Amino acid sequence: MIIASPLVRIRDLVKTFGEGETATRVLKGVDLDLQAAEFVALLGPSGSGKSTLMSIIGTLMRPTSGELSMLGRSLIGMAEDELTEFRNSYLGFVFQAHHLLPDFTAEENVCFPAAGRAGFERAADRARAASLLERVGLADRRAYRATQLSGGQKQRVALARALMNKPQLVLADEPTGNLDRESSDQVLHLLREMNKELRTTFLITTHDEGVAAFCDRRIHILDGKVAETAGAAP
Amino acid sequence: MPFVVKVAWRYLLSSRLQTALLLSGVAIGVIAVVFITALLGGLKIYLIRQTTENIPHVTLEQPDQLATFLPGDPAARQIYVRLKTKDRREQILQWRSAMAIVGRTGGIAAAAPLIFGSGFVLRGQALAPVSVQGVEPEKLDAISPISPKIVAGSAMVDLQALLIGVTLADDLGLRVGQPVVLRSDRGRERTLVVRGIYRTGLGNLDERTAYVHIKTARTLFDLPQGVSEIDIKLADLNAADEYAARLGAATGLKATSWISRNKQIFLALDNQARTGTMIKFFAMLTIMIGVASALLLTTFRRRAEIGIMRAMGLSRRFIVGVFLLQGVFIGLGGALLGAASGFALASLLGLNAIQNGGTGLPIDAAEGSYIEGILVTTLCGLLAALLPARAAARIDPMDAINQ
Ligand SMILES: Nc1ncnc2c1ncn2[C@@H]1O[C@H](COP(=O)(O)OP(=O)(O)OP(=O)(O)O)[C@@H](O)[C@H]1O
Ligand SMILES: [Mg+2]
Repeated sequence: MIIASPLVRIRDLVKTFGEGETATRVLKGVDLDLQAAEFVALLGPSGSGKSTLMSIIGTLMRPTSGELSMLGRSLIGMAEDELTEFRNSYLGFVFQAHHLLPDFTAEENVCFPAAGRAGFERAADRARAASLLERVGLADRRAYRATQLSGGQKQRVALARALMNKPQLVLADEPTGNLDRESSDQVLHLLREMNKELRTTFLITTHDEGVAAFCDRRIHILDGKVAETAGAAP
Repeated sequence: MPFVVKVAWRYLLSSRLQTALLLSGVAIGVIAVVFITALLGGLKIYLIRQTTENIPHVTLEQPDQLATFLPGDPAARQIYVRLKTKDRREQILQWRSAMAIVGRTGGIAAAAPLIFGSGFVLRGQALAPVSVQGVEPEKLDAISPISPKIVAGSAMVDLQALLIGVTLADDLGLRVGQPVVLRSDRGRERTLVVRGIYRTGLGNLDERTAYVHIKTARTLFDLPQGVSEIDIKLADLNAADEYAARLGAATGLKATSWISRNKQIFLALDNQARTGTMIKFFAMLTIMIGVASALLLTTFRRRAEIGIMRAMGLSRRFIVGVFLLQGVFIGLGGALLGAASGFALASLLGLNAIQNGGTGLPIDAAEGSYIEGILVTTLCGLLAALLPARAAARIDPMDAINQ
């Protein structure tokens, strides 16, 4: 039996904020593997370090110590500009606040990661952005500004944008936190469908038991460590 | 269109009020620059025209008789020196050949031989000192246009003719057709007739100058063959120095350009230009500070968006580009706006000055430095954006997400 190497490999990851007296040790040695095409919930009480861990995996923040590798490449020693390129190619983000760019249309927002990489808004990329918007049910809102969309619509645009460059891993930090039940379900089902269709790995933080139950695997963070994982074993 | 251009452009368009304010601020600075350059350029042209209107551009005279060494016997340890003497009249004897050389030179507008000397105009008991100009009748207007300025009589210069200015005529109570006696400093006297009275507005000409026929001047000043000097007007008065050197070498005469005789004008113009440079410098500095602070404010306002772009994997270079381009667009747009309005304003004021008979500012819209103004302002926009661009590129994506 061949055991495929994990998509993300985390060993003894430590994150301390501040120094000396006021130093706060948030992550105290996290060990975690994420496999390709997994749909994973990251759970834990408020302040337990979920967002911190997400930011470190997303290369937006550097850990204090420990190992972090993705696609077999260590991300620890990578230079800033290399990390930027890495994010652009392999990572997608969906945040609790949608963080769409307000001066651009839905389609332009979705196109952004591709246009930023190519230097131009290529026709092929625009077509892909349009089809992604169609996929999230917003074909008729392509030309709307972000400010002209509802919360649920914005979050679906954000999902389309996260998927634009065909990432290996999408990090979704409380993607349904600001949405009502209906919109929340809609977004969650979309995440799941995309996961199945594109075989993209999703790591989702949530306080919502319903959302957690919906995932293949649940990872709990407690006291700065991974306390238990439930669901499909790694 | 490159994506970075699109983003910069969109940012400017979406903050319309800020962009409009910035553009008008830059434009006003550029209007000031255009205005000051048009004024200084117009003033320069006006001053030079005023100065050169009534004087020759190049003057040819007999070279000074300097003390010279004569060849001696080196073994005898003696030198012979010819001293500068005053016994010879300063005159150009070979003036006809010099005129021929001048005539063959291109770029000469007019050349006139001239005999001048000092004398007195006498009428009854009254007496007034004058500088007498002996001219060839057809060349009366070659150097200083007298005939258009005649206010009484005519500009006809015959052998008996005397042309004088209004001030002198008033002083002596002279009228056209009256006979007067002209006595030269060589002691010769001729009775002449006042043929014309002119008003140039120049005290020197109106009060102390008298024009006579060159042949009359010959007898008055005992110069049967030579002339005092040859006066030359050039097609291009700015080339006077080069022409003076060339004509001096070709004729063997002492050639002087109007430029070397009016150094103080160029000194004054230099000082004005320096003032202009200062004003331009401060205008550009103001533009830069304005653009820089506005763009810096934009980086704070768009902190979250910039952070999200960085999280999406857009490079720091991209962010820098977005802000530098905003600076360039504002600089270029404001400069074009300012250059156009500056041109309109300068044209209007220049026209106004002409219509008011030259009493307004001598603004010349064609003298405004438009291209330079546009280029420098665009560059200033770019430079002003450097600091904001750097600040924007340093924004941490985490800041955006935590907001
Ligand atoms: N930049 C920072 N500087 C100092 N402390 C920080 C910083 N970011 C996070 N922390 C601390 O780290 C701890 C974990 O924060 P984090 O945002 O990761 O929690 P979380 O699990 O996402 O909480 P929630 O469920 O409320 O979103 C908190 O105690 C927080 O105060
Ligand atoms: Mg959190």
